Amino acid sequence: MANSLIILLVIGLPWAGALVVWLVGDRRPGWQHRLAVLFSAAAAVVATVLLFGATDRPVLTIPLGPVFGDMTFIPDGLAALLTAIAAIIGCLAVIFSMDYMRGEQQLGRYYALVLFFIGAMIGLVLSGSLLQMFFFWEITALCSYALISFNNDDPKAVAGGIKALVVTTLGGVGLLIGALVIVGYTGSYQIADFLAQAHTLPADVLALIAFGFLLAAAAKSAQFPFQTWLPGAMEAPSPISALIHAATMVNAGVYLLFRFYPAFAAVPNWTAAVTLVGLASVLLAGLMALAAHDLKRALAFSTISQLGYMVYAIGAGGLFASQFHLLSHAVFKALLFLAAGAVIHAAGTRDMRLMGGLGQKMPLVRAVFVIGALALAGVPILNGFWSKELVLEAGLVSDTPWVIGAILGAGLTALYTARMIGLVFHGQPRSELPAHDAPPAMRFSLVVLAAGALTTWLLVGPLSALFARTLSAVYGIHALTLLEMIEEVLATPATWLVLLLVALGFAAWQQRSWLAGLAKALAPIAWVASHDFGFEWLNRQIVRVTMGTAEVTRITQTGVLGWNVVGIIGGLIVVLALLVLVWGA
Amino acid sequence: MTDTALQIIVIGVLGLVGVGLYGLLAVRNLIKVIVALQIAVKGVLLGLVAAGMASGQPNLGESLAVTVIVADTIVAVVGLALAVQVRRHVGTLDIKALSSLQR
Repeated sequence: MANSLIILLVIGLPWAGALVVWLVGDRRPGWQHRLAVLFSAAAAVVATVLLFGATDRPVLTIPLGPVFGDMTFIPDGLAALLTAIAAIIGCLAVIFSMDYMRGEQQLGRYYALVLFFIGAMIGLVLSGSLLQMFFFWEITALCSYALISFNNDDPKAVAGGIKALVVTTLGGVGLLIGALVIVGYTGSYQIADFLAQAHTLPADVLALIAFGFLLAAAAKSAQFPFQTWLPGAMEAPSPISALIHAATMVNAGVYLLFRFYPAFAAVPNWTAAVTLVGLASVLLAGLMALAAHDLKRALAFSTISQLGYMVYAIGAGGLFASQFHLLSHAVFKALLFLAAGAVIHAAGTRDMRLMGGLGQKMPLVRAVFVIGALALAGVPILNGFWSKELVLEAGLVSDTPWVIGAILGAGLTALYTARMIGLVFHGQPRSELPAHDAPPAMRFSLVVLAAGALTTWLLVGPLSALFARTLSAVYGIHALTLLEMIEEVLATPATWLVLLLVALGFAAWQQRSWLAGLAKALAPIAWVASHDFGFEWLNRQIVRVTMGTAEVTRITQTGVLGWNVVGIIGGLIVVLALLVLVWGA
Repeated sequence: MTDTALQIIVIGVLGLVGVGLYGLLAVRNLIKVIVALQIAVKGVLLGLVAAGMASGQPNLGESLAVTVIVADTIVAVVGLALAVQVRRHVGTLDIKALSSLQR
């Protein structure tokens, strides 16, 4: 079914599109919009076809010689699902951009980077080889950086982009070290070979790899303690936040943990560490979302929190639950970001304190935002409800007390979600903002995603069957029909507890004037949360130490040609001497 | 080749490279920097030929020396061409004045 042509198309179409849109030039913006939509839609169609042809065998192998091994592309259930998410939400983000980016300068650069990103993200999840995975991993980081800093005359956008690049590249170092150690021990770049031989590696080496990959995943998925880059990334245009920083790239960390889970599950303390990283992200980011005033930053914190649920699920052994929540989250969070983009596009500000009462002026945006927000809060029967309950059930089954934190996080989610809806769409307008409902291309993307948020949970049967068919041998995933899932969720006591907490969360926002005394008592916590729990301060200290060291070592950089040449020659002599000593001996 | 001859050649090599490195550090004129670099490289050439002789592979040493001569000529040509351009644009050949890293 799946053949090499489909693989080449699903990566090649967005990349070819990137080149074409760039070559068309910024003098013909109409053509740039249309071509970008055309290529991304074609990729989305091919990605859907790939979903039906999933297999656990490599369908395309490109030999790169003895040193770099083979490039392999394996469209198993996990890869096919993430390919479909990247391509379809990518296409919707591009369609949304037709209205959102209308009249902007340098559309060629924008669309080229978006399409380049979509291709790279698909390449990342299809990779069967570690080296190739690292390669695509870094391309996605680079595209993310360039798109965050798209408005490169805005210093905040440039700073946000650099911060994202530094943190995710730091994670990439963890991935690279892990990958090189794996190649050193197994002699193969293939992930499948490593998963089969992992138990033969020395325990401490395996632990080094496992924690290196956890570092990479936490940095990429903005998990505790690396979460600070994601709020800064909100300087990007809203479709970029929806695509890269909600639906696709930030999921790469979760993908990595899933992919290597069978090898690392036996490493002592690894699953506990994963669980705790996830849980800390759920709770800390939830509190920060509650204290944020910027609409997109609040959504970014909620993304960190929901990614925390996925990481938590993997730590608890709920592999399928994590990916099912990933699918739900990709859909409803892309919807929320795009709806927020429509609000920001119309109102011209991101500060929720200036909004209020926008619901009457933009009824469609309010409707879809509420659908996305209810899915985020985990209200039945939207997709976020089912997937979050599956995650919590996995937490219960794993029999650790941490599940209590995850259940509390659900109540927190409901509270900050209610606050967002209330501040933006309801109440009296707090300032005179120009507002109009979304233009047609935006409406299309919003309505499709809203329909997705209402229905993707119905896909649990075919999706789990796909996972079971292609991943059961190594990952031990069993098929789960829709009825079984409904029974399972309804029979778990946690479900009812969570629903109670969600209701309490909504009620707490509704009755906030009664709870004013409590809010005042909690003001110190809110102050700490709105200052990112001191992580920004920590970052500034790291920057300060780095700059101080650079000032001190600056003395070696004379800038005088003669010294530089002597330095080069001296370096060469040292290297030669070392070679002679090592080889001569 | 006798040991004495080899010793004399090694002294020559060290001397030439030493003069070249000293020149690189001491002079401030861009043309003179290139001249100093040339002197150091000539010392290396002598060393290559001598090493070939001493190890019984004169062909290897000589072919390496020829390669170095070619590369070195290119370096000299590009360096001098740059010096001309620097003189034209900046109006000086003083490398201390050219440095933009200093405060």
